[in-house]
Amino acid sequence: MRLKNVLGLVSAAALTLAFTAGASAEDKVVKIGAILPMSGNAASAGIHAKAALEVALDIINNAHPELGNFPLAKNAGLAGLGGAKVEVVFADNQGSPATGQNQALRLITEEKVAALIGAYQSGITLTTSAIAEKYGIPFLTPESVAANLTERGFKWFFRTTPIATDFAKVYTDFLADMKAAGASTESIALVHDNTEYGTSVAGTLTTAFKEKGQNILDISYASNATDVQSQVLQLKEKKPDVVLMISYTSDAILFAKTMQAQDYKPAILLADDAGYSDPSFIKAVGKISQGAFNRSSWSVGPQGSATAVIADLYKKKSGDDMDDTAGREMQGFFVLVDAIDRAGSTEPAKIQAALRATDLKPEQLMMGYKGVKFDDKGQNILASGVIIQLQDGENYVAVWPKANAEKPPALPYKGW
Amino acid sequence: MRRFIWPAVLLALVIVYPLVLSTPFQQRLGALVLLYAIAASAWNIVGGYAGQVSVGHVVFFGCGAYAAMGAYAHFGLPPLVGVPAGMVLAVVIAAVIGVPTLRLSGHYFSMATIAVAELVRLVVTNTDYLGAAVGLSGPTVPRNVFDLSFVSSLPFYYLFLVVLGLTLLITWWVAESRMGFYLRAIKDSERAARSLGAPASRIKLQAYMLSAGLTSVAGAFYAMMVGFVDPESGLGILISVKMLIMAALGGAGLLFGPLVGAAILVPLEELSNSWLGGKGAGLTFVVYGAIIVLIARFQPSGILTLITRRIALITRYIERRTKARELRKQRPAAGADHAA
Repeated sequence: MRLKNVLGLVSAAALTLAFTAGASAEDKVVKIGAILPMSGNAASAGIHAKAALEVALDIINNAHPELGNFPLAKNAGLAGLGGAKVEVVFADNQGSPATGQNQALRLITEEKVAALIGAYQSGITLTTSAIAEKYGIPFLTPESVAANLTERGFKWFFRTTPIATDFAKVYTDFLADMKAAGASTESIALVHDNTEYGTSVAGTLTTAFKEKGQNILDISYASNATDVQSQVLQLKEKKPDVVLMISYTSDAILFAKTMQAQDYKPAILLADDAGYSDPSFIKAVGKISQGAFNRSSWSVGPQGSATAVIADLYKKKSGDDMDDTAGREMQGFFVLVDAIDRAGSTEPAKIQAALRATDLKPEQLMMGYKGVKFDDKGQNILASGVIIQLQDGENYVAVWPKANAEKPPALPYKGW
Repeated sequence: MRRFIWPAVLLALVIVYPLVLSTPFQQRLGALVLLYAIAASAWNIVGGYAGQVSVGHVVFFGCGAYAAMGAYAHFGLPPLVGVPAGMVLAVVIAAVIGVPTLRLSGHYFSMATIAVAELVRLVVTNTDYLGAAVGLSGPTVPRNVFDLSFVSSLPFYYLFLVVLGLTLLITWWVAESRMGFYLRAIKDSERAARSLGAPASRIKLQAYMLSAGLTSVAGAFYAMMVGFVDPESGLGILISVKMLIMAALGGAGLLFGPLVGAAILVPLEELSNSWLGGKGAGLTFVVYGAIIVLIARFQPSGILTLITRRIALITRYIERRTKARELRKQRPAAGADHAA
């Protein structure tokens, strides 16, 4: 007799589901779906990314003559689609690959989005883009760096961000220049956590440095560690020439404090973006991390420049300074919308073709890439980064390569 | 005959659901409901019937998920091949962790299972063969039908329906057998059951191993549908908690309890996320959590009990009314008799 009772419930559930169906497409609006972590461990990144996209929407949908020749800024809406406005439908991936897929499916089939952007965590980008691929909808990731994402033979997947092999090139070139300037760079310690980000980046860098004949010291620690004394002691004992930090914010802060407590200063401290770019890292331990080098693709630039205006708009929107992650998110979105504008259509195949034909020059970008141009796998072959350094207080200044440098790099690492 | 009417209607309803509510999102939601119902029903055997609240069942879920993805990643086989492998693995692991932990009672058992689950997650996170923190992916482009990589969720839906049917059949068979009586006796009072000669340790272990094997099947199908597993999505403690909540919410220790729990919670979670998730600030979980709290406060024995009672009331009301109507019909007739 219990079955009888289940029946009512199942029908109730079915009724609820019925309400989810049916969304009508509106004219003159280009819908783009954004799948981001709005809750869970990475919520902070997701919420900042959302703010970045909203600033980008403001720039695209309203006239912003103060941005000069920056693409999509001059007139309101998309010129290629008769002034159509762009709308972003945000969805929370909740830090779960399955939820990311559910939302991708909903955005594609019910919201009828023209393209998708996201999904921050590499594992979720992996699964959500598989849904986009099956439905033949362009998917652009502005920030997920796992190498395997572009190795799947997907035809609808594009990535604007530099990936670990690009970082490796930046670091080897930078260290070669430092060596030419008299610094010793024979042995390199890679300090990384055991997350997907930490292990994959450390793996790629190890291969790249070994090819150059450098000695690698691999020091791993548990993510969100509460104690890193033994790791710092190990560094102190082995005395590597360069310490390369691949860490998220809380770990980066802990390392800075522990290094001070144990009075350990490497000759060169180089960080791989992430935690070291977080405004809260600079607030907490910027003063005791003087001279730290960091990789970034973002720099504010001189006053009145397009990047400075964008940084200002972003600060007003989110309350925080623009960082590399939010910047890459925004840049990826501009690339996607630029392709839709050039396609002059919301048809997926036309957007895909326009993305493939993308050829943006450095002056058309807000990030310090050498341009945007996709290879057959969908990877931006012109993605790159600059080296910045914490000098005199709490601001990063661009120090390498020479063409982008605001100041020369200062050696050795000062600490506190 | 009447016994089979309602099951038949329910079955028909479940079979036509994805054809009536046929948008891809609704179909996928249906498939997810069935998938979670499989996991929660498997948990129900040991957690519901035997009252051994395991919060470490995600270990077995992970066995299935990793076996399915591992079969593809390391041997190039269809992930489906990993299903039996995952079951064997889960049953063996259940025996290994069951022997020491099932001796613990009440909260201590729950705590021990949490510890084991976290331990397994950490070990896997640092094991390169299992993809460490990066995880393992399934076939990106389906090579043949055995890869189970479909655009539509419909094949998954019916596949999960069959598996759920089998799971419920096994559960029903266990519950009706001698083992079921032992399990309920152990749940009520293990000491009393033992003193009456019930082989409590052996029965608990058997139920635990059976439950583990079935849970691994749910894990394997989950990984196949999503096409990816990493330590967080395959071994995260939240998955255990979900199984537990679904079973408890629907009615732990009742055959259809977990299905009811899944049919409520999965759509609730997905739809609230669809409506509120994009606004940020994790509003979804506030709503989701509040509903669980309300149910736990007002109907701790599960929704199914509530519904059963409501239906019983309505049935009784209808019966009373029909009886009254029959009486009224009879009375005038009787009066007419008198008049005549």
